[in-house]
This record gives sequence, C-alpha cells and structure tokens, in this order.
Amino acid sequence: MEATRSPMIHQPRTLNELSLLFQRIENPLLWAGGTHLMSKSDFYPSPPNRQIIDLGEIEELKRISRTDRYVDIGSMVTTSSLLSAGKLVLPSILKSALGSIVNHITRRQITIGGAVCEPESRMAFSTALAVLDAQAEIRRWEEGRFTSAWIPVNRLYDKNGSLLLRDAPFVLTKIRLGLEWGDFQRFVLIDNPIRKPDTAILVAFQATRNQTALTKVRFSASFPKKAFYISPELENQLSLLNLPIHPDRVNTISYEMVHDLMNRHESITEFQAERTRRVFESFLHELNIQTLS
Amino acid sequence: MKLECTIDSKSLTLHVNSTKPLSLMLIEDVGVKSMLSHCQGNACGNCIVLVNDVAVLSCIVPAFRLKDAKIRTFETFHRTRLCRDIERAYRASGNKPCPDCYASKTLLIESILTELMSSTRSREEGMVDEKAIMQELSLNTCPCMDVTELLEITIQAFEYRRRRRGSN
Repeated sequence: MEATRSPMIHQPRTLNELSLLFQRIENPLLWAGGTHLMSKSDFYPSPPNRQIIDLGEIEELKRISRTDRYVDIGSMVTTSSLLSAGKLVLPSILKSALGSIVNHITRRQITIGGAVCEPESRMAFSTALAVLDAQAEIRRWEEGRFTSAWIPVNRLYDKNGSLLLRDAPFVLTKIRLGLEWGDFQRFVLIDNPIRKPDTAILVAFQATRNQTALTKVRFSASFPKKAFYISPELENQLSLLNLPIHPDRVNTISYEMVHDLMNRHESITEFQAERTRRVFESFLHELNIQTLS
Repeated sequence: MKLECTIDSKSLTLHVNSTKPLSLMLIEDVGVKSMLSHCQGNACGNCIVLVNDVAVLSCIVPAFRLKDAKIRTFETFHRTRLCRDIERAYRASGNKPCPDCYASKTLLIESILTELMSSTRSREEGMVDEKAIMQELSLNTCPCMDVTELLEITIQAFEYRRRRRGSN
C-alpha cells in the first residue's frame, strides 16, 4: 500500500531536462538538500499527488568556478564542500558563516541553494552574502520557458526575511561573488537560530580601510523568523567616517542603528536589539584598535 | 518505490514510500533495534548512521536518495575494530553515554575520528581543534553527558586510533 501512494520522483541530469519537466509538471516540489523539507512535522507521509524534482543529479549546479573578477557557486554545492574550497574562492566572512552552521554532518547535506531559499536554514549564509554584494541567478518559469536574471541577494527578501520570488516557479542556479572583498570582515552568530530563535542574532559586517578613511561599508543583521535588516543609510553614514571613530560617535551610531532597527522590525525583542548593538559596536571598536595599534 | 540497498551487509530490496526517511525505514521496514526514535528532522541527533561510510542524520535522508547505498547502523558497527577504539576510550574515562544515545554518540565520535584521520596534520601531529570537535558533538542533544566529557573521550579515542594505525 505504502509504495503505491508514493510521490513521483524525477531526477533530471541537465537544466534542459529540468526545463522539460517544468513543461510537464504543474507546481513541482524542488528538492535540493532536503534538510528543511524533512524537518517539517507534516513532511511524511507526503501527499502522493505532489511530484518531486530532485536537483541532486544536475552536475551543472554542483560546480564552483572562478574567473579574474568573480566566483560562481552552483546552487547544489553543499556548504561542506564550499568550506573546503579554499581561500581563493571564499572570503573569510563566508567561511565563518558556513562554519557556524551546526556541524559537519548537517553541512554535508545543506546546499547553497537551499540555504538561500529556505527561511530557517538560510540565515547565516544570506546574512553574509548580503554584505558581500552577492548576486543570485534566478531562472523563472514564465510562459512555458525559463527566463534568467541576476538579482542581488539582499533584494531576495522582504523586511521580515521572507523570500520575495513567490509569484512564479523559479530555480536558483548560481550565486555570484565579486572578488573585491573588504579588508575588514566579521560575522557573528549568537545562539542557535533553530533551537533559540527568540534570542539568536546573526550579524555580518564588511568594510574597506583606505588609509584612515572607512569605505564600502556593508552591514546586515538577521533575526530568525522575524527580520532581515540592511540599512543603506547607515552604510552611507559609516562610509564617510575617518578612523579612529570617537567613542561617543560609536555610541551614538550604534544607538541610532538600534532605533532604526526597532522602528522597522517591531517583532525583534529588546534583548536581540541590545545584542545586535553591542556586536555592532564591537566591530567599530575593533576597527579603532587596529587603526591605533 | 522499489529500493535496492545494502543495510548492515545484507542486500535488501524494499518497497517503501519514495520520501520515507531512512530512520523510519530502519525502524519499521528493517527492524533495527539500535534506532530508538524518529524526531522528524528536529535534529535530536539520535539517529546517526553511516551511508557509504559517511555519517548522516537518518531522519533527513529520504528513500529516493538511497539507491544502491551501503548503510551501516550501530548493530554492525559495534562489532568492528573502529568501535573498539571508542569503547576503550569510554572505559578509560569511566563514563559512557546512556542506552538511549549510546549508538548515536558512538557513531558521531566515529565520524569525527574519520574526519581527523583524513587530515594529515591531525593524523601525524595529533593536533585537534577542540572547539570544532565540541561543535560537532553538540549535534546529539541527549543531556546524559557533558560535552567536555565527550570531548575528552573523543580525543582519547583519536589517540588510540592513531596508535593503532601507526602500528599497522
């Protein structure tokens, strides 16, 4: 009985085959690593009428390639294999973010595409990608064919951290990272985002120091199931500063950041906001220390 | 779906739902006694098995990803020399996991040892990253043992493994 009620599994080997499957199947369930899907309490038994497309056999999605200007990471690359890809491919902030994902056993199964698209597991990876100005190649299924577009990762989500691409079926095929990384990169994760979503915070910061001037500052913070925070105004404000930043100014900026954060995201607890402020402040103090030493 | 795989050295043909988690397959279709719970992917860490010699959480591996896979549960692993390194470390520390998580914690330690043995620096110089090991060990959430105790056991087992490999 059990076998006859199984959902049908399709395992395309190329993107062309995937395209053919999209023509035949309405609203398929795309399967990347499966860690998020299988952790849903109602996952099994799955409805037999929902057809599943397993992306695990498409070699094109498992490649990492580097040119002089950028690195392309296929969406089916696992976080574990990306971590072992080496310094030339991976900025330190991304390495910290990937390393913060629970453990090696789970990392072997979580894919980059899943980490960007699924709400609970994506936090660490997309928080770091947002400050790296990464772009995602999205292939939307519209009018019987795929149309491809590069979208900045920080525009993939709304302010609550929900994915914005729900209007048409899509496949995320690649993440592209430029190779001009800032010389100051930090990623901080406090508490487990899955087990303690009400206290966990994820913060990423990147800046370039040009003698004593701070340039190209990027800052993002994520709060599990609540918010995805980026503020171009704050980044612009920081990008005009000279180092060292006066401690009073650090204090003022950090409180302004928290004020803005709380205004935009009411669901964040004061505890999370204070944690974020202190982490943010510690980045600025660290920049000062490095400038003065 | 019809699934052909090898579980604990037995070649099996199973008729299972294509999305059935491996942990449930092992409990319901194979009758593996060391698999005690199915947490539905909540990462309790109590369902670790080896698939093609790689440790996985069996609650998040679906049947359709297991074609021709070689699955090893604690039931056959505990008869191997690899397991004896870990059991020796349990005895040396005078502490061991509770019956509920014994199988999983032992396989978790084994996956860490495999990882350490694959690193030249760890294998030859005995260097270990304690923080990384503690992060790995935290996968199993059973509170019967402190993570620092488990760390000691893991490092001890690693020493036994290195010595054994060195003498071979």
